[in-house]
Amino acid sequence: MSTNGAAGRIQIDGVAKQFGDLRVFQDIDLAIGEREIVSIVGPSGCGKTTLLRCIDGLVQPSEGEIRIDGAKVTEPPRGVAVVFQHFGLFPWKTVYENVAYGLRLAGAPKDQIAESVARHIELVGLKGFDKAYPYQLSGGMQQRTGLARALATDPHVLLMDEPFASIDAQTREILQFELLRIWESRPMSMVFVTHSIEEAVLMGDRVVVLRGRPSSIHEVIETGLPRPRTRDVLSSPRFNEVREQVWSLLMHEAEQAERELQEVR
Amino acid sequence: MSAIQVNEPKPRMIVPHSVRGGAISLVGLVIGAGIWEIVGRHTQAASFAPFSQTVSALWLMTRSGELPTALESSLELFGAGLGFAMLFGFFGGLFLARIRLLRIGLEPYILMLYATPMFALIPFILSLFGFEFRAKVIVVTLFGVWPILINTLEGARSVSNDLLEVAKSYRSTEPKLWRHVIIPYTLPYTMTGVRQAIARSLIGMLASEYLLAATGLGNLILTYTNRFDTARVLAAVLVITLLATILMAIGRAIENYFARWKAGV
Amino acid sequence: MASVPHEVAIPRTYGVSARTQRTFLRIATGVILLVLWEVLVRWLAPPFVARPVTVARALPHVLANHLPPGTPTFWGAAEATVVASAEGLAIGIVGGVLVGLTMGRLRTADRLLRFYISTFFAMPIIALVPVMTLWFGYSSTVRLYIVALGAFLPICLNVYDGTRSLPASFVEVAQSYRARWWNVWFGIALPASLPYLLAGFKLAVGRVLVGAVVAEYIVNLKGLGSYIVFDSRTFHQPEMMVAVLFLALLGVSVNAAADLATRRFLPWYRRSE
Ligand SMILES: Nc1ncnc2c1ncn2[C@@H]1O[C@H](COP(=O)(O)OP(=O)(O)OP(=O)(O)O)[C@@H](O)[C@H]1O
Ligand SMILES: [Mg+2]
Repeated sequence: MSTNGAAGRIQIDGVAKQFGDLRVFQDIDLAIGEREIVSIVGPSGCGKTTLLRCIDGLVQPSEGEIRIDGAKVTEPPRGVAVVFQHFGLFPWKTVYENVAYGLRLAGAPKDQIAESVARHIELVGLKGFDKAYPYQLSGGMQQRTGLARALATDPHVLLMDEPFASIDAQTREILQFELLRIWESRPMSMVFVTHSIEEAVLMGDRVVVLRGRPSSIHEVIETGLPRPRTRDVLSSPRFNEVREQVWSLLMHEAEQAERELQEVR
Repeated sequence: MSAIQVNEPKPRMIVPHSVRGGAISLVGLVIGAGIWEIVGRHTQAASFAPFSQTVSALWLMTRSGELPTALESSLELFGAGLGFAMLFGFFGGLFLARIRLLRIGLEPYILMLYATPMFALIPFILSLFGFEFRAKVIVVTLFGVWPILINTLEGARSVSNDLLEVAKSYRSTEPKLWRHVIIPYTLPYTMTGVRQAIARSLIGMLASEYLLAATGLGNLILTYTNRFDTARVLAAVLVITLLATILMAIGRAIENYFARWKAGV
Repeated sequence: MASVPHEVAIPRTYGVSARTQRTFLRIATGVILLVLWEVLVRWLAPPFVARPVTVARALPHVLANHLPPGTPTFWGAAEATVVASAEGLAIGIVGGVLVGLTMGRLRTADRLLRFYISTFFAMPIIALVPVMTLWFGYSSTVRLYIVALGAFLPICLNVYDGTRSLPASFVEVAQSYRARWWNVWFGIALPASLPYLLAGFKLAVGRVLVGAVVAEYIVNLKGLGSYIVFDSRTFHQPEMMVAVLFLALLGVSVNAAADLATRRFLPWYRRSE
C-alpha cells in the first residue's frame, strides 16, 4: 500500500526548525505517498505540531524544504487542509457557516457551497445540526464539524494534529473508524499526529517515531495492516506486535529522560 | 442585577515593551506635538495656539498662582464628590445586596439614573440646593455613584455559595462573614466601579463648574474662551487631561491592588 | 398525570408567578418614590420646583408642542438631539471599528496611537466644548465633533481590546484556509470583537448624550440641552422635567436594545467559553 521516496506527494527534505535558541527538530526526511496515511508519534514538545505547521506553510522551516506535488511550500497551499486539536471552530458561526468557511474564502460559487456543505455535514453525521452553534455541540460533534470543514474544501492532503485527543475514549473510537471509512471512499495523503500509540498504529500505513532533543526521526515502522481497517484489526496479532514495538521505542526514551533528570538532581 | 454588565476598557499607560517599541511611541508623541505646533502657527491666533505657546501659557498661569488655585478648587470639588459617591455607592450596594425586596424594587430606577445624562438634572439640583459648593458636590456625586453602587451590588451578589458554606462550616458569625468573605470578595468589583466613577466624576466636576457657580478649571476654560485666549484655554485643557490620566492611573493601580488575589483564579 | 403515579410532585405556587410579583414590587416602589418626591418638594422646596403632579400636568401640552410662543418646542429639541447623537454614534462606530482593528492588528499603529486614544478616553471630552466654539464658531459642528469623539473613543478602545484578545488559534485556522489580511481583520477579528463592540456602544451612548446636551447648552444650539436650560431659567421646571425623563428613557431603551441585540444576534457570546 505505502509508497515511498520519489513518488511522494509530500516531500520533506532535511527540514529543521529553530525558535530563537530552541532547536525543535532537525534532519527530517520524509516522503508521503498519494494515498498514504503516515502517523507521527513522539513525546510532548518534540515538535509534532510545529512540523505539521511547516507542512501547511503556516511557519517556514529554518533549514531544508518541503514540497507538495513538486511545489515548494511557502504559504498554505490549495488542496491542503488541517484539522486542529483545539477544533478551531469559530464560535460566532453556525455549523453550516463553519463548514462553508474554506469554500467561501476560496470564492466558490454559492450553489456549489450549498451542495458541498450539505453533503459534508451529512458525511460526518451531523445532519440536522446546520444551524447549531459550536457551544451547543459536544466535543465529538465539534470535531466532526472541524473534519467536515476540512473535507469540504476537497483536499488531497489532510493534516491532522491530535484531532481526537480532547474527546472522550468511546467517541474517539467511533470517530477513528468513521475517519477510516471516509478515507476509504476518497483516499488522500494524510499526516496524522497523535499521542496515542494505538491510534497511530490503527490509522497509519507507517508510523514515524520522533525522538531526542532536538528531535529527529528515530524509526519508521511499516504497520503492514490490511485495509480497509475495521475493528478486527485491533485484535490482530500484527497490530499488537507493532504497538509493542512503538511502545518500547517511546518508553525507552521516556525512561532515559527520567534517568537524566535524576542524574541532574 | 446580573443583567448589568458595566464593562469599560481599561485605559492603558504606554509601557514600552522594547526599546524599539518605546521609540515608536515616542515618535508618535513628537509627531502629535509637531502637528499641534504647525496647525497652531498656521491658524489665527484667536482660534488655535501652537504647542509652544500653550506650554508657555501654562508656565505663566502656574507662576501667577492662577492655575494652582483653580486646580485646588476643582480637586476639592472632585474629591468631596467622589468621596461621597464611594461612601454611598459601597454601603448602598452592600445594603441592597442584603435586602432583596428593596433591590428588586429599586433596580429599574437605579438603571435609569445610571443611563440618564446627569447634566440634565443640574438645573433641578440648582433649584433645590443653590449654586454653591454643596450643590456642586451633589452633582459630582450623582455622576459618580452609580457605577460604584451597581458594581458593588453585583460583587456582593456573586459571592459563591461554596465560600459562604465554608465560612458557615467554620461557625463564622454574620459580622465575621462580612468582614472575612463578602467584603474582600466585593472590593475588586467596587474598585472597578470606582475607576469608572473617576471618569464620570471628572465630567460632573466640569459640568457643575460650567453650569453652577463658575470656579476652578471649568471657570478658567470659560473665562479665557470669552477672551479668545486660546493658549490659556488649551493650557487648562492640558491640565485637565493630565489630571484625568493621573487619576485613572491611580484608579487602575488601586483596582489591581484589590484584585490581586484574582490573578490565580 | 395519573398515568405517571410516581412522578415527584412539583411544588405549586399559589396565586401569582414570581415575575408578576416582581413587576408589582417595582411599580409599588416607583409609586413610593414618586410620593416621596411630591411630599418632600411640597414641604421643603420653592413652589416652582417640579413635582410629579406638576410634571404630569405639563406632560400633555409639552408633548403636543403647545408652549408659549418664543419657547423652544420639545419635539423639535428632541429631534435635534437624537439626530445629532445618532450621527455621532454612526461616525464613532465606523471610525472606532477601523482604528480599533488597525491598532489591534498592527503593532506600529498601536504604539503610535495608543497614547492619544487612551488619554482622550480618560479626559472629560466636555472640556473641549468651549474651545471648539473658537475653532468652529457657535455652530452645530461643535456638537457633531463632541458626540463623534464621545462615541469613537470607547468603541475604538473596546474593539482594540477585543482584537487584542483574539486567540491566535483563530488566526491560524483562517490562515490555513488561505485567508488574506482583510479576511482576518473583517472576517475573524471583527466578529470575534462584536461583544466588545456592543459593550463599547453602551458606554458610547451615555457619553454621546452627555456630550450632546452639554454642547447644546454652551453653544446654544437647538436641542434638549438648551431646552432644559431655557425652561429652568424661565421657571418652567415641570416642562424641563419632561425632557429629563425623555433623556433617561432614551438612555435606558438604547441600552436595552443593545442587550436584546446581543442575545438575539450573538447567541454564542458568553456560552462559548
Ligand atoms: N511560535 C513559537 N515560538 C517559540 N517556541 C515555539 C513556538 N511554537 C512552538 N514552540 C516550541 O517548540 C516546541 C515544540 O512545540 P510543538 O507544539 O510543536 O510540540 P508538540 O510535539 O506538538 O507537543 P504536544 O505533544 O504537547 O502537542 C515546544 O517547546 C514549544 O514551546
Ligand atoms: Mg502539539
